Amino acid sequence: MLKMTHLAKVYRTEVVETYALRDFNIDVKEGEFVAVTGPSGSGKTTFLTIAGLLETFTGGHYHLDGVEVSQLDDNARSRIRNEKIGFIFQAFNLIPDLNVFDNVEVPLRYRGMKAAERKQRIMDALERVGLASRAKHYPAELSGGQQQRVAIARALAGSPRLLLADEPTGNLDTQMARGVMELLEEIHREGATIVMVTHDPELAARAQRNVHVIDGQVVDLAEEPRFHAHAHLANS
Amino acid sequence: MQIKPILAALRRHKAGTILIALQIALTLAIVCNALFIVHERVDRVNRPTGMDESNVIAVQNRYVGSPPNFVPLVKTDVQALRSIPGVESAYATNSYPLRQGGWSTGIQTKPDGTKDGVPTALYFGDEQTLKTLGVRLIAGRNFNAGEVVTVQPQQTPSPPQVIVTKAIVDKLFPNGDGLGKTIYLSKGKPSTIIGVVEKLTVPWTDFDHLDNVTIMPVIFNSGYQHFLVRTRPGEQDAVFKAIPKTLYGVNRMRVLPEKYGVRTYDMVRSRAYEADRGMAILMSVVCGVLLAITAAGIVGLSSFWVGQRRKQIGVRRALGARRSDILSYFMTENFLIALAGVVLGVVLAVGLSQWMFTHFEMKRLSFTYVLVGVVVLLGLGQAAVFAPALRASKVSPVEATRSV
Amino acid sequence: MFSYYLQLGLRSLRRNPMLTALMVMAIGFGVAASMTTYSVFRATARDPIPQKSSVLFNTQVDAFGPENIEKGEPPPALTYKDATALLRAHKAKRQAIIYPVSVSVIPDDPARLPSREGAYATGSDFFPMFDVPFIQGGGWTPEDDEKHASVAVITKSANDKLFNGAQSVGKQVNLDGRLFRITGVIQDWAPQPLFFDVPNTGGFDEGASVYIPFTRAVDLQLSTNGNNNCVAEPAEGWANYLQSECIWLSLWSELPTKADVDAYRGYVTGYAAEQQRAGRFRWAPNVRVRDVMDWLDVQRVVPPESQVSLVVSLGFLVICLVNTVGLLLAKFMRRAPEIGVRRALGASRKDIYAQFLIEAGTIGVAGGILGLLLTGLGVLGVGLVFPEPIARLATLDPVLILLTLVVAIAASVVAAFYPTWRAAQVQPAWQLKSN
Repeated sequence: MLKMTHLAKVYRTEVVETYALRDFNIDVKEGEFVAVTGPSGSGKTTFLTIAGLLETFTGGHYHLDGVEVSQLDDNARSRIRNEKIGFIFQAFNLIPDLNVFDNVEVPLRYRGMKAAERKQRIMDALERVGLASRAKHYPAELSGGQQQRVAIARALAGSPRLLLADEPTGNLDTQMARGVMELLEEIHREGATIVMVTHDPELAARAQRNVHVIDGQVVDLAEEPRFHAHAHLANS
Repeated sequence: MQIKPILAALRRHKAGTILIALQIALTLAIVCNALFIVHERVDRVNRPTGMDESNVIAVQNRYVGSPPNFVPLVKTDVQALRSIPGVESAYATNSYPLRQGGWSTGIQTKPDGTKDGVPTALYFGDEQTLKTLGVRLIAGRNFNAGEVVTVQPQQTPSPPQVIVTKAIVDKLFPNGDGLGKTIYLSKGKPSTIIGVVEKLTVPWTDFDHLDNVTIMPVIFNSGYQHFLVRTRPGEQDAVFKAIPKTLYGVNRMRVLPEKYGVRTYDMVRSRAYEADRGMAILMSVVCGVLLAITAAGIVGLSSFWVGQRRKQIGVRRALGARRSDILSYFMTENFLIALAGVVLGVVLAVGLSQWMFTHFEMKRLSFTYVLVGVVVLLGLGQAAVFAPALRASKVSPVEATRSV
Repeated sequence: MFSYYLQLGLRSLRRNPMLTALMVMAIGFGVAASMTTYSVFRATARDPIPQKSSVLFNTQVDAFGPENIEKGEPPPALTYKDATALLRAHKAKRQAIIYPVSVSVIPDDPARLPSREGAYATGSDFFPMFDVPFIQGGGWTPEDDEKHASVAVITKSANDKLFNGAQSVGKQVNLDGRLFRITGVIQDWAPQPLFFDVPNTGGFDEGASVYIPFTRAVDLQLSTNGNNNCVAEPAEGWANYLQSECIWLSLWSELPTKADVDAYRGYVTGYAAEQQRAGRFRWAPNVRVRDVMDWLDVQRVVPPESQVSLVVSLGFLVICLVNTVGLLLAKFMRRAPEIGVRRALGASRKDIYAQFLIEAGTIGVAGGILGLLLTGLGVLGVGLVFPEPIARLATLDPVLILLTLVVAIAASVVAAFYPTWRAAQVQPAWQLKSN
């Protein structure tokens, strides 16, 4: 589903070259739920932006759903983002000027879908996250947990093959975080491929597989002293 | 003041900075040229004629039919006008200041001069002319009734006595001994200067020698006559209404045109300077709206910058910046941008003025106007940025801790 | 997608009513100022007789000599001698001498006051040459010119006033106590600029209500109601005046082809050379044969006020646009987060361009409507700024309405290019990085 080989991302300034990713290799199979962990500045967010085609990379290969994406132009990349990928951001990133319904509608609009189908999908997605009754509310009128559920609904509405989540619970309190996590697990059980970036080991432990990133490279955890995740969340 | 960090910050907002500076530059270029035009036109509109214009009424009269001699008709009309109650004096003429139509010729000091003489406008009149116009005789004497001569059509008037303006004697006789001298308005026909008036202007508003006027005791044998009437103070309205009735009463076979038949001197003046006044109004409106739009634009962009930099401002406040520091930061920032704008604006203003000078024969912009424009725009910029800057200074240091 | 973007645009404009109002007003004022002054400029700079302006020519022959003219330009009018000599030569398809006179029209009804009317003394060719529209009868004939006949053509207004609009061909009209037989009634015809009488009117005038034969007017010793300029004083009397070097007449010719123009110009030059040989002109032939638009251009018919105010208001529009660019930039960049999210969710650059240009377009439409209202007010108010004969020519016609809207929308879309380009440059990754 998502396969990167020898991928590199270099940020160049006039004086220095900084490798955000170097010789980065990862292979996520269809239907997997993978957590990408690592300390701050390790390159895990850069990995996610490249995986989501938000940024280009400097070297290596990236096959998404069997397609080599390095040669695609901006238009083609936009289309893939729209049709195959769903994003869940730490800061939710709902558009404040649009209500819940209109926010979920955004990716469907860019797909040029008929109004009836759009409406069907939006309501399905909102029902799925339990917010169908809030369709006419604006983001500012919702709690953080509800906003993130709307963001998840927006990611799901387009039936993406791949769901990318960046610290999806980072801005939420524990109770809301748990709800969001359960929702993600449920979505995974229904067959979605999920790649989640987090620095929280407890969250990572709930994924099928963990990939650890340090200094822009994937580190084989088997060779590292394995630390054990706590079985339950800290302050429950 | 911390100018360096401001410049560094501006470099990161190139587009906005350039847009404000450009807007100020263009506004300066247009505004100082427009204000200059306003000033020039207002100057023209306020030019004195040398007359006492209050209580004067001008009448345009055309006799119908073609009698061999119009002179008796003219004389009867003048008599009738003089006998209207409230009328102080009246006379018949070919033209008067601001009429925008009249006669001109060149004055020679020799009987057979061939060079271009001193240009002069010619006004016909009689012994009541000076009084009706309200001009000041500074030397010599007025005409007497016996000196008035008749001039036929297609004949150049050149009576034995004339009164001229000071501008003419100064030009013809720089030694100041012009009174009593002989001049030639027509080949070989001498006229003596019997009087000098202080100032009187020609009929046209665009004439190179505005103050060159010769008044002559002449009655012109023509069906086309103008009458000037001076009323006693406070009786202008009554006389104004009485004139058409009186003239039609004397003789129905005449035409007093609907629009320009009987006019007070205010009407004559406003008609003569119609285009100038219009231009002054238009340019003033343009200046006003332009300054308002530019000010609004500065308010809009500055507000945006303040909004964009709330967090930064919060951090500065958290690090100990006083409100006045933040206020003066934005004021100084605007001043620097405006300064760049006015420098460019001065160049544009002079360029525009030069272009209009070559294309429309306008006067060149005076430097005072550029200076006034610069001060106005710098002041406008500071005034416009004040509200957003004040809002910026009220940003709480807590903003530093907010994430977005 | 268009309706979606339109909806988004309107929503965004409602979000910041002050900023939106500011932009709409900037566009509206800028466009209105330009369109109002343009309406005046258009009126003064237009072709008064488009169907024939390239085949109608004014003739100038320098009878004053180099020391009495400026920059070698011959005087704008002709002497009686030159005008009649050129007319007699018949070197053009049609030709007419024209000069303005003023006549008193005396009504038959003694209870009504006589009125002074503007009139032109001219030839029979005048009417077909200038396509003068007749509603009754026609012009007088060349024979009438020859016979110095007392005939006249009057306008509809004059006919309404004198004959209550009835059929008046063949009836008599009393001009200054002399009777003239009416041969035709024309529309109230006064092409603007009044190209055939620029030297006396400046180009803008209501025109005349009576036309009489030139030959008859000269017989009656009707002097010109316009300018009369003499380099040398004429001897006394009308006959001497006609033989003088005073200029007061216009001569217009219809020359259908290039060859006709060349031949005519050659003839006029030859005529001036002949005058030089005869000792009358002490200078080389200095003649001009100019078509309508050249003539209007040389005579500077477009008032400098009209041009200056057009230039100033175009400058005004540019400033309003710069202002709008700044405000749009602020408005669009404030929405950088939204743009980033949309890009992440699959909007291509093209989508962003479309969304923001359409938003700018809606500002243009609003600005255009405001501009149209203001232009309407402006055109009504032109009378406060320009002299009446010019002001009355400025009108808000469908062309101007359309132009106002097009300029407003085009201006706001042009103004939106840079801000939109900046918006489209917002990286989709922006969202992840900013935290």
